[in-house]
Amino acid sequence: MLASSRSKASLLGETEPSLAAGSAGRFRARRQGSPWEPYLYLLPGLLIFGLFVALPLVGTIALSITQWDGYGTPTFTGLSNYVDAARDPLFRSAAWHNLILIPYFALLPALLGLLPAVLVQQMKLRWAPFFRVGLFLPYIMPGVLIGVVWRWLLNPVFGPVNVALKAIGLNPPTWLGDFQLALPTVGLIGAWAAYGFCYVVFLAGIQKIPRELYEAARLDGANGLQEFWTVTLPGLRREMAVVLSVNLINALRVFDVVAATTGGGPGRETNVVALHMIDSAFKINRVGYGTTLAVLLTLVTLGLSLLVLRLVGGLDD
Amino acid sequence: MQQSNLAVSRRTILAASTALALGALPRWTWRARAQGGNLVFWDSNNSGGLQEIVETLAEEFEAQKQDVTVEHQGFETAQLDDQLQRAVQSGEGPDISQINNGENSMGPMVRAGLILPMDDYAAQYGWNDLLSPGLIARNRYTEDGETIGQGVIWGVSSTAEIVGFYYNKQIFADNGVEIPETFAELEAAMQTFKDNGVTPLVFGNLDPWPAIHLFGEIHGTMTTREYLDGLIYRQGDNSWDTDEIQQAAAKLQEWKTNGYLQEGFEGISPDDAWPLFAAGQGAMLMQGSWQAPDLAAEMQDNVGFFLMPPREAGGTVLHVGGVGIPYGITQDAENPDLAAEFINSLVSERALELMVEQSALPAQSIPAEMITPDTLAGDLYTAWNEANEADAIGHYMDWATPTFYATLTSELQRLLGDQTTPEAFAQALQADYAGFLAEQS
Repeated sequence: MLASSRSKASLLGETEPSLAAGSAGRFRARRQGSPWEPYLYLLPGLLIFGLFVALPLVGTIALSITQWDGYGTPTFTGLSNYVDAARDPLFRSAAWHNLILIPYFALLPALLGLLPAVLVQQMKLRWAPFFRVGLFLPYIMPGVLIGVVWRWLLNPVFGPVNVALKAIGLNPPTWLGDFQLALPTVGLIGAWAAYGFCYVVFLAGIQKIPRELYEAARLDGANGLQEFWTVTLPGLRREMAVVLSVNLINALRVFDVVAATTGGGPGRETNVVALHMIDSAFKINRVGYGTTLAVLLTLVTLGLSLLVLRLVGGLDD
Repeated sequence: MQQSNLAVSRRTILAASTALALGALPRWTWRARAQGGNLVFWDSNNSGGLQEIVETLAEEFEAQKQDVTVEHQGFETAQLDDQLQRAVQSGEGPDISQINNGENSMGPMVRAGLILPMDDYAAQYGWNDLLSPGLIARNRYTEDGETIGQGVIWGVSSTAEIVGFYYNKQIFADNGVEIPETFAELEAAMQTFKDNGVTPLVFGNLDPWPAIHLFGEIHGTMTTREYLDGLIYRQGDNSWDTDEIQQAAAKLQEWKTNGYLQEGFEGISPDDAWPLFAAGQGAMLMQGSWQAPDLAAEMQDNVGFFLMPPREAGGTVLHVGGVGIPYGITQDAENPDLAAEFINSLVSERALELMVEQSALPAQSIPAEMITPDTLAGDLYTAWNEANEADAIGHYMDWATPTFYATLTSELQRLLGDQTTPEAFAQALQADYAGFLAEQS
């Protein structure tokens, strides 16, 4: 913020000499201003960050070492909530379901987004703007709405998916109610909801790759596929890091899509950590334990996304 | 001049951004405190007929009192629990609020001393004669807030709920089926529908609570008031792992295997199930009384209501159901006597009249002259009176422990998905129950 305002000031000084002559002292004075000045500019951002991120985080950590039913006063219980979490079979199975969802929420949408981005760019499709809007649409739908739409699409009696499958003589499953298929189905819905974001990021990234590289590749006799492997994909490394880490975070913190489709069922087959956390804190009034799960989820998410950034190379500079 | 301009603008930016940040602060206060004769009351009547009823009663109370104003605010049920918790804790609660039964809200609030005992008011206004003892017990907690079902009255319910079968009169007539008088007749009727290619029971269990009703009603034909009360109120030495629980679970599985339940029910949400029934896609629907106004609007005269029939003609069934969320007085109430007087108007004869007008189910018995026979509401009221007089309103089984809803619903889904056996099902319920009891002591 400060750096940009300074360079802007010096730019002004250079391009408008008449002004610069009269106010050189002004700019110098600013540069030598109070050492607190930078912090003043940061204040609004810091205030918002403090109120909505730092303070709740500290509060959450504080509550996680207490037992509290949401009323009365919290009782300090040390790390017993963390011990409980380690022993909680529901937490373990929920975390396992989150892991299973990672390929669906992180990798699949990246692939689904990459394909149309490359096609639109390399094939010079005529209806590109239409595709851009159409493919992005699922991403801006609220999770709850996605749940309602897919519940309808997959309804065993009147949902278009099963009606179509029955029409061609198949005996379709109940998808969201099936003990084996519910979790993959939720995963596919999540992939459908996320690929639009990947698509837009990749599209922006592709447009930034220098044309000359493609021309050079073509002069060397590269075909479309070779162009993709040697020019497009390496050029999208940063975008890949962004997409994968954002998707990964979504896979770990997923709540809305699961809550709005299966609610964690059938049985507990699609229960995820965020759902278990909300249920613990607000449905059965174990607020301390719920916040413990929140702290653990935050730590794991932070660790895994740092790992992805390091592996894919988003931390170059 | 430029210098000062810049200074001003910098200060303005700072002030503006600070104001922005402060403006984003959460609102700490929910409302100005009640003054003088102001009554603020919160409940979950945030739309439709029930909202009209309480607001009409509030206006009439104001008119009668003159120097009193009554301010009503309706919330979504889950939101009400949440808001109430925070508001009462910060001393900004309403005077009167619906307080969700059991460990949802009432237990913790009694323990934290946030609501007032209502025994004296109950005696003063005669509420104990208005409602059956089995219904009042649900709003009782011991003074220490540890035991539900006995001790002090902390709230008064104006409405009630009972689960039963809605049936399609046309489909019943077309298949020559009469309203079943016994459990065996009910099963025979379902078999007839099945044989004739009609879905016997419309059912959607994607959101898993309807299975609690179905299982609870089947179990209700096999159990006793003492056993079920003891279990739900955690008194005496009762277990979930009994022959009856296992038999009811086996019966539920049998119904599924026999094809009595809607095909694909695992993937159908309850919100989609009742419209399927309304559209004539099956003979019966098991649902709570709250669905009656919707079904009457959709199906007019083609829908009726009957209760789960007993094993032997003339026997008793404990039906799934209970009271609407009770109204209690918070510690923030400035004039508890006035609050109690207003609560009394919510269970007055006038309130009864308004509820019957809207086909809502009041917690009290309904006088025969208010019942129109051969209508859905008429069937419902007759059934309610019958069950209420026999003190046969059972329980929502998920009240047993704070985690019981999750345990019961997931185990029922596993039972219906053939992922568990009736024996393991009963053991899983008991494990949850015993775990909670151990934690309590």
